[in-house]
Amino acid sequence: MKITSLLKIACISGVFAFISCSSDDDAAPADQIKEPTNYTFERDGKSSVSFGGQTTRIEMATILAGKLKDNTQTEAVLDAMFDHKKGANDFGDNADLNASTKSVRSKTAASKDYFSINVTDAADIKKDFDGWIKSQVDDVFPNWTKEASAGVAGFRQEAEGGSKRYITAKGLELNQVFAKSLIGGLMADQALNNYLGKAVLEEADNVKNNDNGTVVEGKSYTTMEHKWDEAYGYLFGAAPDKANPLANIGTGSNQKGDDSFLSKYLDRVNDDTDFTGIASDIFNAFKLGRAAIVAKKYDVRDAQAAIIREKVSQVIAVRAVYYLQQGKKALEAPVVDHAAAFHDLSEGYGFIYSLQFTRKPDSKTPYLTRSEVQGLINQLMSGTNGLWDVTPKTLQTISEAIAKKFSFTVAQAGS
Amino acid sequence: MMVRKSVFSVIALVFFMLGCSSDNNTNDEGANGGKDSFDRKALLTNIADNIAIPAYQKFSEDITALKASTSNFVTTANASNLVALRQSWITAYTSWQSVGMFQIGKAEELSLRNFMNVYPVTVSDIESNVTSGSYDLTSVTKQDEQGFGALDYLLNGLSDTDAGIVEFYTTNPNASGYKKYISDLVNRMDDLTKQVLADWKNGYRDTFVNNNGSSATSSLDKIVNDFIFHYEKHFRAAKIGIPAGVFSGTPLDTKVEAFYKKDVSKALFNTSLTALQDFFNGKHFASTTTGESLKTYLDFLNTIKNGENLSLLINNQFEASKKKAASLDNDLSNQVRSNNTLMLETYEELQKNVVLLKVDMLQAISVSVDYVDADGD
Repeated sequence: MKITSLLKIACISGVFAFISCSSDDDAAPADQIKEPTNYTFERDGKSSVSFGGQTTRIEMATILAGKLKDNTQTEAVLDAMFDHKKGANDFGDNADLNASTKSVRSKTAASKDYFSINVTDAADIKKDFDGWIKSQVDDVFPNWTKEASAGVAGFRQEAEGGSKRYITAKGLELNQVFAKSLIGGLMADQALNNYLGKAVLEEADNVKNNDNGTVVEGKSYTTMEHKWDEAYGYLFGAAPDKANPLANIGTGSNQKGDDSFLSKYLDRVNDDTDFTGIASDIFNAFKLGRAAIVAKKYDVRDAQAAIIREKVSQVIAVRAVYYLQQGKKALEAPVVDHAAAFHDLSEGYGFIYSLQFTRKPDSKTPYLTRSEVQGLINQLMSGTNGLWDVTPKTLQTISEAIAKKFSFTVAQAGS
Repeated sequence: MMVRKSVFSVIALVFFMLGCSSDNNTNDEGANGGKDSFDRKALLTNIADNIAIPAYQKFSEDITALKASTSNFVTTANASNLVALRQSWITAYTSWQSVGMFQIGKAEELSLRNFMNVYPVTVSDIESNVTSGSYDLTSVTKQDEQGFGALDYLLNGLSDTDAGIVEFYTTNPNASGYKKYISDLVNRMDDLTKQVLADWKNGYRDTFVNNNGSSATSSLDKIVNDFIFHYEKHFRAAKIGIPAGVFSGTPLDTKVEAFYKKDVSKALFNTSLTALQDFFNGKHFASTTTGESLKTYLDFLNTIKNGENLSLLINNQFEASKKKAASLDNDLSNQVRSNNTLMLETYEELQKNVVLLKVDMLQAISVSVDYVDADGD
């Protein structure tokens, strides 16, 4: 019900925005929300949009996810890549990343709304990520050339001479678990629970400065504008044209998004006819929210934040259910392709993990709490040999438990 | 990679609703869930009795002959028995092209195609199987170590000369390992084929023919999806598109079918193309007689596209593909290296029929696609 009312506010605001735009004779310019076609905002002829730090972290995460599949890496090297320090040569010949002050780990489970007080969970979550790296190095890398079976780590090849998947004794492909969990732990958490939250947007003198058009020293943006852009960057920071990021997010299989994280899966969910339009809904909300900040219409801004929170959360949940259903289908086949099934379920594991970072539009809570998420993961991995023992029935139960927290069905997400 | 999956998409739902609400269709209220009055059972009967079962029958006979040739070669490994075995392999491989599309019933249950014709094979794994003598050919992880592709390597790829190949089965320290492996591969192919043929003959034929409704699990919906899936993935992509680099951006000349034999890849492609067109036209296996088919179904519905009969457009496109492919080298691998443009142009002709079959035809006969592109990651 509250979602509906928020949407109403958004719609009404949109109508007002429309009216104010079309009647520019009597309204003062400062009262208008001028919404551009692309995510292009300028002050004094210079772009006021900036989110380089997000692009950097997406690049770092991409490289790290790739190195998790390189069995010559050591734990220390991978840890350093995860928790990069300025000047350390963690990223090979990429001088820009090496020189960067940014790191992935420091922003994992680090949003103001969720983790500024709850430092216990924040620490535990970082430990989870550290643990996946450690287990990949300790348990999977040494068995790189051994064939995996129930209770035995190693590689497992997909059907038709397909890809080799490198899995733990319990069937988990940890590089997938890590990457998909980062979608929640880094991207969604930072965007939804940090930068789109009032605590960050309106911190200190942000409102006053934005009202007065006081820019950050040496920059062409106000702090509030910048914070909003940083949320945008976690979705669209890898786009070639950052003002028009939907160019590579379409409705068919031709477009693939611009990274292996939120951009990619926003594209994938948008490809599903049950969810077509979600990408433009999210993009438009970012754009209108940013325009609302320029126009100092903070209620409109917050209504857009609510839309983004709801829809980005939905992307994560849809993919969690999708992979569980794909895994279920693979396990039900007359000839079981374990490598393909476990690949899907490992991606599913990461998306389930990411659910604890989702955000209901009308409250300060996720759609599924950390303990609920842990409960689902325990169900998934409860057998002695983990995924080797999971049944289609259990996968269905978990799928339904997730879907019922959202406004879609298992069937809609599963196709 | 493309995977088959069951979907009841919104598109299907829309078509379904359109079908229910449109009463300007004179063929309404038929036996097919109110969609049209075409006799689907007659079509299924023609497919089973005159196409699929005779094709599997012939294939099974050729596999039996392959088994005999293998046995001869393993008993007396010499050049003339190698040549004879190789010929049996080519004959069976050619027959395979006519059954590859029928991955339904027992073939689907056994995942027949994936155990018969995955290529390229992984030579290092084949060699390690030969060396160790221990392998489980029933595992899906071993699909690139068996079937026609593995035989291709073992009969054509071990050496440049027949004498050199024969040495692997005679003087090689592990000659017995090679003999055992090639025998095991052929025995498995024989076993799988016999199971599928026996199933068609002992009950599945009736199950197939009588499942003549129009749901997503009806025989027609399934076989038409199998046909188009085979056309897209195992014909268009596997035989031409992948080697031509359509999906990778770089030509991959080692990914052709029968890579080690070199000069039969075009012939296998042509046989497959003819089999697909014959299926569309309901042409009886190894005969000039035709029966009820997708073509007659489209003609019954009087399906027109751009002022032409859709069935004619589809047949014209099959012919255009044949004409373009006629100029290809007998060795498609060589074609990729010498003039890949011709491969790409062939692919383009094949792709045009994907649109006619998958979009226009399926829309006309109210069948929805039950597979999608997979993740690819």
